[in-house]
Amino acid sequence: MSAVIATSKLSKWYGNVLGLSDVTISIEPGITGLLGPNGAGKSTFFNLLTGQLKPSIGSLTIFGEPVRNNSRAFRRIGLCPEQDAFYEELSGWEFLTNLLRLQGYGPTEIAARAEKALGIVELLADKGRIVRSYSHGMRQRLKFAQAIAHDPQVLILDEPLNGLDPLGKRKLIRLIKDFGREGRTVLVSSHVLPEIEALTADIILLHHGKILAVGGIQNIRDLIDTHPHIIAVRSSAPRALAAHFVGEEYVLNVHFENSRDSVLFETTNRDRFFERLTRYAAEPAAAVEEVTSPDDNLQAVFDYLVGT
Amino acid sequence: MKTIREIFAFFAFYGRKTRRTQAFFLISLFPVAIAAVFRFHQAMGGDGSFDGMYLFTNVIMTFFLQFLILVLTLFFGTSVTSEEVEGRTLTYLVTRPVPKSSILLGKYAAYTLIVTVLVWIGLVACFLILNFERLGSADAWTVLFRYLGVLTLGILAYGGFFTFLGTFLKKSIMVGLLFSFGWENVIQYFPGSTQRFAIVHYLKSLLPRVMTSRGRFSFLTFRLEPTSGPVSILTLILITAGFLVLAALLFHHKEYIYED
Amino acid sequence: MPIAERGYIHWDGELLERRRPWLPITRQGIRLAFKRKYFKFSFFVSLVPAFGFLVGIYAAEKIQDFKLKIEGVSTILQVNPGFFRAYFAGDFLLFMMLMLMVLSGAGLIADELRHNALQLYFARPLTKKDYFMGKAAILVFFLSLVTVVPGLVFIICKLIFSGSFRFLADYPWIGLSVIGFSALVTAFFSFYTLMISSVSKNRRYTAILLFAIYIFSDVLFGIFYASFRNPYFALLSIKANLQQVGAAFFNVKAPYAVSWIYSLAVLLTLCAVSAFILHKRVKGVEVIK
Repeated sequence: MSAVIATSKLSKWYGNVLGLSDVTISIEPGITGLLGPNGAGKSTFFNLLTGQLKPSIGSLTIFGEPVRNNSRAFRRIGLCPEQDAFYEELSGWEFLTNLLRLQGYGPTEIAARAEKALGIVELLADKGRIVRSYSHGMRQRLKFAQAIAHDPQVLILDEPLNGLDPLGKRKLIRLIKDFGREGRTVLVSSHVLPEIEALTADIILLHHGKILAVGGIQNIRDLIDTHPHIIAVRSSAPRALAAHFVGEEYVLNVHFENSRDSVLFETTNRDRFFERLTRYAAEPAAAVEEVTSPDDNLQAVFDYLVGT
Repeated sequence: MKTIREIFAFFAFYGRKTRRTQAFFLISLFPVAIAAVFRFHQAMGGDGSFDGMYLFTNVIMTFFLQFLILVLTLFFGTSVTSEEVEGRTLTYLVTRPVPKSSILLGKYAAYTLIVTVLVWIGLVACFLILNFERLGSADAWTVLFRYLGVLTLGILAYGGFFTFLGTFLKKSIMVGLLFSFGWENVIQYFPGSTQRFAIVHYLKSLLPRVMTSRGRFSFLTFRLEPTSGPVSILTLILITAGFLVLAALLFHHKEYIYED
Repeated sequence: MPIAERGYIHWDGELLERRRPWLPITRQGIRLAFKRKYFKFSFFVSLVPAFGFLVGIYAAEKIQDFKLKIEGVSTILQVNPGFFRAYFAGDFLLFMMLMLMVLSGAGLIADELRHNALQLYFARPLTKKDYFMGKAAILVFFLSLVTVVPGLVFIICKLIFSGSFRFLADYPWIGLSVIGFSALVTAFFSFYTLMISSVSKNRRYTAILLFAIYIFSDVLFGIFYASFRNPYFALLSIKANLQQVGAAFFNVKAPYAVSWIYSLAVLLTLCAVSAFILHKRVKGVEVIK
């Protein structure tokens, strides 16, 4: 699959302050999560991606075309910005229809698309109220509506789940996943790692303006040699279980959690460990009740790589 | 052109709805109140020297020319860009399939229309109040239309300049105020060609009655060494076009970073 | 854990150690104002008349040394109440005070309305009075530096340069006049600026309004005065009213033939209206229907 978004040595300085450094990535259709702590360069990356900033070095293309000062490109791009900013004295309907007008649609199509987008984000009942009277969640949904109303093929979402209640988040996550399944390219950033995990397994991790990791969460985790995998196995015979593995060279550490009858194994080779565990669990005397990987998740990847 | 039209339609609609426009509409009615006071005074048997046309041309028009259109164009002109940056709504515009220059020109056109309408309403109302007896006279209407034309040219020129200022500077209001109430006023005291460095010089050169430093309203008027009509109109058009082109170029290339 | 009873629990205690809660607001505001380039420049320009008048005081004492034979110059450089009135109620100083208010005051409340920051203030043990005092104190600080401080410096320098207390003996009330008029003009501009700053969330709009209303009031006066020759139209002009009251404070002839009491009443009414508008506009929570 060819890349929809491609950057090559993309860098941005604000005077002497580094915003982004040497970012070379290709993003294909599907959902990609953009992660990083505050000041990592996520906003800079999004601003470069949407042509609001000019790269200091490097290039950036979407569908093979540069974005900066290329207004045509925005027929296929939708952006949900992070900032809570609107034309406050317009109603939700007026805000959306006027932005759709700028996409070049006629009045009938504008009305149809606005109805559809507001229906998706459940704002139809409040479409006549001025935006200034909207709650934070409603404003967030309106921002999302204006990003999707023109059916873009690339959706860039900067903290789209901010301010939404749990039900709203679930609905929006489902919607974003639908977009991904349709073959669109969705790039979404969030500070809340479980939200990203709920959306996608493919991530780009930024830190201090540089890319720390790109790819699937599992793949990235496997590559982190400095932090062995931790696997927790609950068993009614934890010491027997531990004895079974303690001689293996890929098991670095064994720790007993007496309160939960669990054994925590630190291993450098997760695949070999699970292979051996499967064979052990099949034995009649084995009493394996539960197997979990406490650090086989995005939070652990984030913590290990960012170092917090 | 289509994109400019779309942007124009958006901001003509939006600009009408804002409370600021409504407030400026009330401000633009102040000269109407002044005219009404003059007329009321005359109706209550004031001094016999009431001359509506004289008051209209020397008082009301000067108020519009040297105060009202400056205030209105300063606010609306700088708002073309500054409003979007301060309000962080620029993102919505530059991520649409609309060229950046269209955004600037379309919004300038919309706000210029709004200011023109505000000014025309006030001026026509003043004219009607002060020249009620002369409404059958073609000469009087000629004066009105000429003044409307002069003010419109002024709105275009000042609007273009302030649009450029708002695009170029982050804090454009101070410079705008110093230009409007400092430079434009002071430069008129200078003789010869120095006056030609002020936009108001060309506007005054187009007015039917040349203002002098005599008469009881001399505090409002200055010694004018006028430029010819065609040259003044051309200069004003060039000023408008020049500053708009500069503003569009700047807007196209400049990066706007929102303050945290 | 028991489920708490639903309802608001009102705290009836006494706030201890209320040590000038408005002071951090003032300190921060002054610091922020000095960070702005235009403000620093304008502030120093607004001190230029003070330096000019100080030189005038010196020159007045040394006039024989300069051997100035120009007719009338000795009366021009007389340091008397008229000299003080010329400084305090002069067009340039009033204009520069307005510019300082535009630069330091236009966004004082407007910016906080824009960023919805009032809730942050009123969620703390801070009353509306403390908030206004904190904001007003920023403006009072800057205005005092161009009014009461130079005024008192003039008196001290006059005494030093003349080498005697004769000036104070001739005009024993001059110090009180300086302080009184400075207080009035400072209070007026503070109320005016804060009121305008509270009417909109847009700092550009409030800056223009601050300027435009002041200039417009003077233009209005000029138009009606030139037409009707009635000095009572001076009451329409903020500048004229300040100059009328200034003349009264320094016991010199007023520029217009209208009682200074009326001018004072106009200024105080504007202050009262400003206070009312401020009270209405500054709220912790805005309810939008």
